[in-house]
Order: sequence, then C-alpha cells, then structure tokens
Amino acid sequence: MLNNSFILLKTQAKQQKMKDKKAIEFSFAWLFAVIIGAVILVLAIYIATKMISTGETETGTATAKEIGTLLNPIETGFEEGKSSLISLTTNTRIYNKCTHLGDFGSQGIQTSQKSFGKWSNPGFEVSFQNKYIFSDNYEEGKEFYLFSKPFDFPFKISDLIYLTSSQKKYCFSNPPEEIKKELTELKQGNLLVNNCSSANIIKVCFGSEANCNINVKYNSGFIQKNSTILYFATDALMYAAIFADKEIYECQAKRLMKRASELSSIYEKKAVLFEERDCSSDLDIGTFRLLLDNYRDSSYLGTLSSKADEIKEDNDMALCKLW
Amino acid sequence: MRIKKFNMDNYAKVRKAQFKIQQMAFMLIAVVLFFALVGIFALAFRLSEIKDTANLLEEKNAMLLVSRLANSPEFTCGEAFGGKRTNCIDFDKIIILKTEIPEYKNFWGVSNIEIRKIIGINNEVLCSLTNYPDCNVIKLIENSSSGYDYSNFVSLCWKERNDETGDVYDKCEIAKLIVRYKEKI
Repeated sequence: MLNNSFILLKTQAKQQKMKDKKAIEFSFAWLFAVIIGAVILVLAIYIATKMISTGETETGTATAKEIGTLLNPIETGFEEGKSSLISLTTNTRIYNKCTHLGDFGSQGIQTSQKSFGKWSNPGFEVSFQNKYIFSDNYEEGKEFYLFSKPFDFPFKISDLIYLTSSQKKYCFSNPPEEIKKELTELKQGNLLVNNCSSANIIKVCFGSEANCNINVKYNSGFIQKNSTILYFATDALMYAAIFADKEIYECQAKRLMKRASELSSIYEKKAVLFEERDCSSDLDIGTFRLLLDNYRDSSYLGTLSSKADEIKEDNDMALCKLW
Repeated sequence: MRIKKFNMDNYAKVRKAQFKIQQMAFMLIAVVLFFALVGIFALAFRLSEIKDTANLLEEKNAMLLVSRLANSPEFTCGEAFGGKRTNCIDFDKIIILKTEIPEYKNFWGVSNIEIRKIIGINNEVLCSLTNYPDCNVIKLIENSSSGYDYSNFVSLCWKERNDETGDVYDKCEIAKLIVRYKEKI
C-alpha cells in the first residue's frame, strides 16, 4: 500500500516536472507512427519530384523526336527552297548537336521547356543520320521557322535545314538580285530585305557597309561573323554559314562531304555500268571523290567547288547523264 | 546483489507492448506493400504510355519518310532520264546502292526498305547485279521480318540497250516503295 502510494507520488511529480518544462508525453506507438509517417512523406515527395523530372525529360525527348520527324515533309523535291513554321505550346529551347564521327556523322536534337520560370533539364538526344540542321547552339521561343534548300555539289547531296526562332530577325542588306528574289518569295516572317533600320535585328551585309553583324563576301565565297571566317560554296551553304554557329557549320559541312563522297562512289559505279552498255559518260568522279575524302574544313570548299563545276559541265554534255 | 522481483503487472505490460509492436510491424508491412503495388501499377502504366508514344512517333516517321524517300539523292532519278522527275527512282543507282548498304543500314532510321515492281514478272525474283533488271523485288535494308509497312507508288526507271540497234533508251515501270518500322515491344 505504501509502495503504491510512493509510485503514484513519483508519477505525479514526474508529470508536474514535465508540465513545468512544457513537454508533451509520447507513447512509443505515437513516436513510431510519427517517424514512419515522416519517412513515407519524404519518400512520397522524393518520388513525386523524380516523376516530374522524368516527365520533363520524356516530354523533351518526345518533342525532339517529333521535330525530327516533322523535318521529313519539308525536304524539297525540285523546289529551290521551302519554309514552314513550327508552333509549340510552351517556351522551348531546341539544342542543335552535331557529330561527324562514323560513316555519315549524325544530327542530334535536344529540347528543354520552360516551366514555372525555370528551364527544365534537356531531354535525351534524338539522333538522325540523314538530317542537316543549321542554327545556333540552341534556338529559343514558341515559334520556329524551318527554311530548307537543296545542296547540289554538283549532284544533290541533301536538303539543308535552317532553323531560326521567330524572335530572331535577320535583315539582308543589298543582297544580289537572286538572293533578294528568293527571300522575298519565301515570305518568312523573320527574314527581311533592305529595311534594316529597326533595332534588335541581325544585319547581314553584302556590300561594304558599317554596323553589320555578318558580312558576306559573295563573290569571294566567305562570310565574316564575330571575327571568324566561314567559307562557302553555293547559296545553300552561304545561308548555312549565316544562320549557324561556327562549330555546327564546320561539323555539318564535314558530314555533307562524307555523304557526297558516298554518293560519288555510287555515281562512279554507275558510270562503269553505263560503259558496259556502250553509253560512256567520261566524268572524272574518282578525283572528286579523293578531294572529298581529304576534306578537313570549309577552307577546302574552294578547290572542291572548281572540280564540282567541272564535272557538272561534263555531266550536262554526256549522252547518258549520271544524275 | 539486487534481485528483480517477478511482478505480474509488469509482465502484462510487457506482453501488451510486444503485441503493439507486432501490430505496428504488420501495419508497416501492409503500408509498404500497398505503396509498392501502387508504384508498380503506376510504373507499368507510365511505361506503356511511353511505349505507345515511341511507336506513334516511329509510325509517323515511316509514314512521312515514305512520301519523301524517292526524292532523296540515293534514290532519285534527278535529270538522268530527261527533265526533272519527282517520285522517280533510278534503278541503276539502287542496284549499286544495294552493294553499299552496310554504310546506309541505320541512315533512314527504319528497319526495312523494299521496292517491288507491280507489273511484269509474276514470281518473286530478288534483284542482284547479275539478274538486274529482270527481277521484281529489291530488298535494300532488311533488319526485321515483322513490323508495320507504309508504301508509296513510284516510277522505277533505268537505261536499257536495244541489242538490235545498239541504242540506249530510258525504260520506266511502276513500282511500290515500302518502308517498314519495327514496333517497340
């Protein structure tokens, strides 16, 4: 009896002491439930964050693949050029990746989207071996223009695609008549001709003018941009040099020359096939292919261009045309 | 030396606590199992959604590619048969391309590319450099035996020599260009 009273007193004293400390008494079951509840909550938040990030990556990858797929119909047949517009629902960055390794190199596309004012991590890179996109490292916006033009050197190598954001305006000052005609007929919203007074435009000059962002030496076959020189052959590569970043331009040009080399090998064998049918074409494609195989950078384009013109003339004169 | 006295009250309390811990452990297992099952279902659903999107994009790519493939440099007639022709495949070029195909295996991003003449020879005769142009099927890329096909009608042209006169003339036949994509399982 005395013992029980003692325990009761001790418990009351303890409770009073806890009250004084303003503490709350927890049973083991409560403590356990709180800890487990917290663990489950933390896990749920972690999984939800991961799922959002995976969802963003998935959307980015799917958008990149979709953009690549949509590039198929804009490839030209016998048209000189084609322009179309891609509209996306959210602000998007399209990253242009290029590698020249392998038989044909590859064109990579990555996208990232803006959500809650922050750019998401880019999705996985989607690669295409048969596409050549010329743009800056990345283009940003909701609307993008795709301008495609065939690259004949001297036979058709591929269609070149120039990707620009609608936010970026280019103004061509004093271009040659054929360029002016082409750009006017194209009616692409962000490409202006001879009206270069407004602010925030990229001024592309063909004459010797001041305050130009890009200077095109059309007859000499090179452009000057941010203190770098990019060489070109044909109008298709001139546009490519204007719209693309230096590294992307050089990489894509290398890929194009690889494809040109493969195609010249096909035409070389086709010439042999024609000889068997007594329909000779007498084209020096072998030398052209050797020059293509030795291509290093755009400074080689001048030599290649002269040889391409030569074999084009021979093909035009041939009884059995190779292309 | 202190000897702890056996107390019936304490024993009951310990038993009760043990029972509560057991109850909590079972509850925990049930909760973990429940979340794991929900997670598995959610993951399976998401994966099937991703797979569907991937297949849809592959299908779209094949569909759009088949309409433009005949105009790509490796296939197109260009001006070799007089004038500019669209949707025209140069048979001479294709038969050579067949020998260069290892380089082009993944070039167009589809699993199969095939050209079939529509009229002429009844039986399936596969084309090679030896029997060309007396054949009717050219299998350019063959990566998969199953999948979904998309096709487009094209003209298949080549240069033929008249043995009597020795003249070389252009010959064209109607053919079907078939592109196949493999479904992701």
